[in-house]
Amino acid sequence: MTERKEQLEEIAEERASLMKITMGPLIWAIHFVICYGLAAVTCAKGWDIEMARVGLLVFSVGSLGAIIWVGWNSWRQWNPHETGDYFNSWGRAEDRHHFLGHAAFLLAIISFLGVVFTSLPLVMLGGCQ
Amino acid sequence: MALLSACGKDQSALDAAGVDAEAIRNIFMVTLVGACILWVLVNGAFYTLTRLRTDPLDDRFVRPLLIGGGIVVPSVLLIGLLAWALSILPDQRAPGDGLQVRVTGEQWWWRVEYWPDGAEEPIVTANEIRLPAGQRTEFVLDADRVIHSFWIPSLGGKMDMFPGRETRVSLHPERPGRYRGQCAEFCGVSHAWMAFAAVVMPEEEFDAWLEREAGDAVAPESAEAMRGEELFRSEGCGACHAVRGTEAVGQVGPDLTHVGSRETLGAGRLGATLEDFERWIAHTGELKPEVLMPTYDHLGEAEIADMATYLKGLK
Repeated sequence: MTERKEQLEEIAEERASLMKITMGPLIWAIHFVICYGLAAVTCAKGWDIEMARVGLLVFSVGSLGAIIWVGWNSWRQWNPHETGDYFNSWGRAEDRHHFLGHAAFLLAIISFLGVVFTSLPLVMLGGCQ
Repeated sequence: MALLSACGKDQSALDAAGVDAEAIRNIFMVTLVGACILWVLVNGAFYTLTRLRTDPLDDRFVRPLLIGGGIVVPSVLLIGLLAWALSILPDQRAPGDGLQVRVTGEQWWWRVEYWPDGAEEPIVTANEIRLPAGQRTEFVLDADRVIHSFWIPSLGGKMDMFPGRETRVSLHPERPGRYRGQCAEFCGVSHAWMAFAAVVMPEEEFDAWLEREAGDAVAPESAEAMRGEELFRSEGCGACHAVRGTEAVGQVGPDLTHVGSRETLGAGRLGATLEDFERWIAHTGELKPEVLMPTYDHLGEAEIADMATYLKGLK
């Protein structure tokens, strides 16, 4: 592999992991907007709220699954159990790569909790009141 | 202690007189005690680490503490609290055991309609809500021009009232007594004076009261009261106020058919003695700034006394 090609790959990887740290919060945001939006429109239009509720619950489980996948991926990128380095405080490209995985992993945890909080009313409340 | 003395009055969410207020108080108490414990723990840890053990701690101790205390415990506690809070919501939206009360927020008073089970038309009253103890009563809420909020702290949670949109809340009072409701959403100059008496009665007493409330107004008997009724008519009060059984059929202001039997005047602004009626008629605008009702201070003292006697007699 030429040096040039190696660099390009590294840049591509870093760009991807910059995207990756937004993935968890993005799924959370989309889930939030769709849950509140669909529930509000369903109630305002008098559509079948039970169907919307079941649909949103399935969507919630899917969102949680996607966040778990992002989290797992980020965990592997951070890779602290193999490198033994939790903080990646050296400024090398490899450290930045691990650090972005670390950040994405923590954001995935927050996003997971956010989706659980948004979904709890769906689980516990029915109807439009 | 001086602050706590305000907690045992007729408008306290901590002095619960019903199932719903009790549920809210329990959550509040658990959250309060939990917050105190957390405060002590966090500050204890802070004190320990900055004053008592300033040497670096072992990773094997710190990591579980950070992950456990920083992520796992707060997440589990908050999810538990949210689930508990959500679990009491369906009760407070339950349809009730038959009686439905429609309340409309006006500036700055409450239009109240009782719809007993199967009723075809409501029993109309204002500025006072009576409820049977031991049953769930559903409230259907609406508002006239601006947003208000319906709240009887001793009986349950609050619910906003929107112009053109119905909201619902239901209350299950347990302990008979006299409580106070208050508008809980700023609705204009006299928002603070928009209150009402909420009276919880044993079921039989409530039924008897509702039957009386459904009847027409009693005719005045004394000479003063008769003069008062004549003044009520000639001053045009009936254009805004209804007194069922008379020619006063106005819908702009509160229904006065049984105003003499209410516990407050001017939506909780005053008590309901004869003097209070006189004060209200002669100083309306002072007592309730920007109220729609004009002040009748052009009437003489004797005339105001007659009118007060008439109104106080509308039991």
